[in-house]
Parts: sequence; structure tokens; C-alpha cells
Amino acid sequence: MADTATATPQVKEPLFGKKERRLITDPLNDNNPITVQVLGICSALAVTTQIVPSFVMAIAVIFVCAFSNLTTSIIRNHIPKQIRMIVQLVIIATLVTVVELVLKAFNYPIYKQLSVFIGLIITNCIIMGRLEAFALANKPWRSFLDGIGNGLGYGAILLLVAAIRELTGKGALVGIPIFPQSFYDAGYFNNNLMVLPASALLVIGVLIWIQRAWNPKLVDVS
Amino acid sequence: MDFINIFIKTAFIENLVLSYFFGMCSYLAVSKTVKTAFGLGMAVIFVLAITMPINWLINEHILTEDVMGMDLTFLRFILFIAVIASMVQLVEMVIEKFSPALYTALGIFLPLITVNCAILGGSLFMVSREYNLMESTAFALGGGFGWFLAVVALAAIREKIRYSNVPPALRGLGMAFILTGLMGIAFMSLMGIDPAALGQ
Amino acid sequence: MSTTKVIIFSLIMTSISAFILAGLFYATAPMAKKGEEVFNKRAILGAVKNYVDDYENLTDDQVLSIFDEIDQIAIDMKGNTLKDIQADKVDLAQERKKPEADRILPFFKYTTGGKSYYILSTRGKGLWDDIWGYIALESDLRTIAGASFDHKGETPGLGAEIKDNESFSANFIGKTIYDLDGTYNPVMVAKGPAKPNTNTVDGISGATITGDGVGDMVVKWLEYYEPYLDKIKSDSKIGMK
Repeated sequence: MADTATATPQVKEPLFGKKERRLITDPLNDNNPITVQVLGICSALAVTTQIVPSFVMAIAVIFVCAFSNLTTSIIRNHIPKQIRMIVQLVIIATLVTVVELVLKAFNYPIYKQLSVFIGLIITNCIIMGRLEAFALANKPWRSFLDGIGNGLGYGAILLLVAAIRELTGKGALVGIPIFPQSFYDAGYFNNNLMVLPASALLVIGVLIWIQRAWNPKLVDVS
Repeated sequence: MDFINIFIKTAFIENLVLSYFFGMCSYLAVSKTVKTAFGLGMAVIFVLAITMPINWLINEHILTEDVMGMDLTFLRFILFIAVIASMVQLVEMVIEKFSPALYTALGIFLPLITVNCAILGGSLFMVSREYNLMESTAFALGGGFGWFLAVVALAAIREKIRYSNVPPALRGLGMAFILTGLMGIAFMSLMGIDPAALGQ
Repeated sequence: MSTTKVIIFSLIMTSISAFILAGLFYATAPMAKKGEEVFNKRAILGAVKNYVDDYENLTDDQVLSIFDEIDQIAIDMKGNTLKDIQADKVDLAQERKKPEADRILPFFKYTTGGKSYYILSTRGKGLWDDIWGYIALESDLRTIAGASFDHKGETPGLGAEIKDNESFSANFIGKTIYDLDGTYNPVMVAKGPAKPNTNTVDGISGATITGDGVGDMVVKWLEYYEPYLDKIKSDSKIGMK
């Protein structure tokens, strides 16, 4: 599989040309899957109360997104049209099961913590969305890069939200307390609101606001 | 736990969208007008109520730890999503045949439902919470109803807010997120309801 | 595209993915099992974390080797020892579904520095879902030496504090489950702050139902152990191996 992925594009296109680099950098800002394409906000946000599970989630999404893009792109000319959706879902579900099994074997506590949300990567619309919009029409290597780029753009937002929520909600980053005890003695206390699910939405809403105020071409006209 | 108990809990207190973000993508996409929100909301209830009992049966009888000497639990994700995808297709065909009017109303939303996390999420929660068939059905109906309620409410608010003076950068998506967050906080106040007491 | 091609395609596709997954599943199964075992045993040791050296940084193998030193027995509701059952394999979630009289209880005895602690297991219901905990008793079988709690799905910041807030479980230390005359009078969870010098611990503000759940669970399950604790007390040589 890997051979075809790298061998074909080398003939005509450079491996890391300007176009290829844009595939990775675009989703980080101008075409961010969460804040601009509005895809895949789904369930993964539920894990953003802390950085560590969010990080694992981000890695999992990058992995699934990149490899499902790659696989779909390789077999794109053989997929029967009638069952296209199901074929894509089977590819994604297989990869997500791989993630689940690996996580269960190597880090059981995190596996426990993420519980159903690992499985829900299957219905993460970014992955399905990229297969439909990109992998079905592009060569394997470029699809792979597109998958990584979108996974990264997604992971970046996830980590940002998690960092904000962990810092304000638990007064810690990556589990390490940030504020000294004297702060608490002086009357500072952790904001319990930020631990609740609803706060993830508020944080993203504000992030979108900031991004669009700074990058006016993204402003929604409707 | 009994039927009513789970229904109330999943519909209001642990609303699938507001506390688990299930189905957020289609939730944001269709909540621009009440009419489309209504259509998709109904479709979600419908598909949840069909797929969860089927997935329950599959989970109970095929995905056990000992079926013909093999542990098949690793096929859970694939089988669940396959059931959901095929059920959605089936529902689509049946509706098209028997009620063209409903089909035109729901038509474009049905394929979207396959990748709606609420559907798969329902089935996965059912497994991790070890619900029985009755409880799964209650969860499906309650979860679907809660989703319906949230999407219609957001659509109604978004229709109204079109006439308000929102900062340009916050218009549309940003505002939808913040509104959903506020709705989530409002729904949290229902937490004081003791489902057990209501069930009695 | 013909139907045959569709069928052949789906057959090939599903068999490839089934093979990959089956291979991976059987390859990782032993590690997943060990991970689960360590996870559960670490939770049980949580009740005596103040008496385990460097509990927070124990490696997986250290957890297992500490656990090898622990005496464990399974007992029934009448206090009889069940020889065929391994205590760390008892799944309280399943036991809780059985009728009360048929339940099997795990019992652990952790010895360190010449002192013994008896770890009792409890499981009950919080606001949303199951909650469980391990209570360690001093060798007088009356005073609580430590406790740890966990939950399946309590609200973060509210009910989930039974696990996240160290001081909740720490408050159990020094409380008692029997009066001096031997009457069963276990520690209670107060609604709000506990009154000083009573056998109660602080409740969690905003999580009364979870707090009550912890209280009920402790009262109920510690009483299950009473026949066995009485046996230990009447038997001066403690009958554990």
C-alpha cells in the first residue's frame, strides 16, 4: 500500500511542493475544519475538559483521517457507486477499531476515560467529509496529506479548548496545578462552569468570533 | 431504572446535543430555519428508535465474548455502523415508496443521519451502560426527542436573532455556538429533577 | 457496475478488515487484559494510598507485585470463605444485580510495616449511574484508615468530586463504622459541611444526591461484611491466608 502511495505522485509532482504544503497548513487557519468548515464538532468536544485525553483524541483523529483518506484514495476507482457510503464507513470503522484496540492495550486508563468517544470518531463528520470532498477525487499521497492537515487543524482547536478549560476550570495544565496556593487563599477559585459541557460551546463560539474578527474574509454573510 | 425515568433523563437532563455534543454538525447545519430543523429532528427520532433495538439484539447475540468459541467484540463498531447505514437506506426507500410527501420533506436529511453521532452514540452508550432492550428503546426515544427539542429550539432562536444587531464576526456560526452553550446551561437547571422520584 | 462486482467487492473488503482486526485483537488481548487488571488493582490500593510508598508514581508492575503480597479472599453474605473464587476477579457490578443473599464480596488484607489494613468494597448508585468505593479499616476493624471512590458518569465539578476532590475521601480517615460498644453505626455523608466531632464527613455542595448515594452505599455494603468481621474478631488468630 505504501509503495503505491509514494511512488505514483513522484513521477509528476514533487513530494513536498507548495501545493502539498498548503494541504497541511490551510486547515490550520483559513479552512479549519471546526471553526470554518463546521465539521466534526460532534462528540469529541466532550473530552476537552483536560489536555491529556484531548491530545490522545487528536492523535486518534489525525491517524484515522490520514489513513482513511489514503485507503479510500487508493481504491477510489474500484468502489462501486451504489455502496460508496458503506465502503467508506467500513474503512473508517476498521481504523477506529484499530485505535481502540491499541489504546486498550497500551494505555488502559485513557481508554477508560475516553470510553464511547473513541467509537464516535467513526461519525466524526470531518473524516467522512474529507473522504467525500477530497480522497475520492485525488491521488493517494495528496489525500494522505490532506488527512493529516485536517486532523491537525481539528486537533489544534481541541487542544486549545482543552487548555482553556483545564486552566480556568481546574487551575491546572496537563494535570499540574498552575496557580499557587496563595491565589486560592486570596480568594481565587476554579470556575466550575468551565468543567461543564456547555462551556466547550461557549469557548468555541468565542474562538470563532476572535478568528473572524481577525480574518474578516471568513465572516458569515447570512 | 424504568422507562419513564430513562426517557426524562436522556431527553432533558443529559440531552444528547447539549451535554454530549452528539450530532453537532447536522445540528448546526440545519438549524437555520425551523422547518428543516423539524424535519431532521423527526428523522433522528425515527432512526434512533429503529437502530437501537436492532443493535441491542446484535450486541446481545452476536457480539458476545463467546460465540462459536470466538470473541467477536472487536467487530462492534463495524456492525453497528453497518446496521445504521443500511437502516437509513431502508427507511429512505420505504418512505419514498409509501409517502412521497414525507420523503420530500425528509429526503435530503436522511443520508446525513448516518453520520449523525447521536445515532451511533446511542448504540455505544447502550453497550457501556448495559441497558436491556426496554431501556435501550427508552433511551432511543428520549434521546431522539431531546435532540429534536434542542434543534428546533435553536432554529427558532436563530430565526429571531436574524433581526438583532450581532457583531459581524460573531454572526452565524459563532452565535450558534454561544446560543447552544447557553441553552446547555439552561437545561442543566433541570438537573434538580430526580428522575427516580418522577418514575414512581 | 454489475451486482456481482458489488458483492465481490464487499466480500473482499469485509474479509480484509475482519482479518486485520481479528489479528490485532488477538495480538493485543493479553496486554489489554493486563491493563484492565492493573487499573482495577490500582483502584483498590487507592483506599490505602497513604500507606503505600509513593502511590501516585507506582508503575504497572509495582502495582501487581504489591498486590501479590495482599491476602485476598472472597466471602459470601453469611461470612463464609469461598475457596474457589478469587477475590480480585469478583465484579461488583454483576454482584449488585444479584439478589442480596447471593452476593459475593471481595476482601483484601494489606500488610505493611507490621500493620494490617482491611479493604472492603462497596458499590451503589449516584445521581446518574453506578458509583463505587473501597474502604480500608484499621486492624481494630472499627476505624477507617482510608477510602477511595470512583463513578461511572457523575457530573464533572459536582458529583464527580467524590473522585476528583482528594479531601472528600480523606475526610473518611479516622471516622468509624462501629460504636465503642460494637453497635453498627457507620460514617454518614452530611448534607453540606459536617458538624465537628460527629461521625460524619462533609458533603459536596451541589451534589446532594451523589453524596447520599455514597452514604447509602457505605452503610449498606459495610454491613454485608459484618458476619465476616465478627468471625475475625471472635477468632483471635485472624483466619486469613
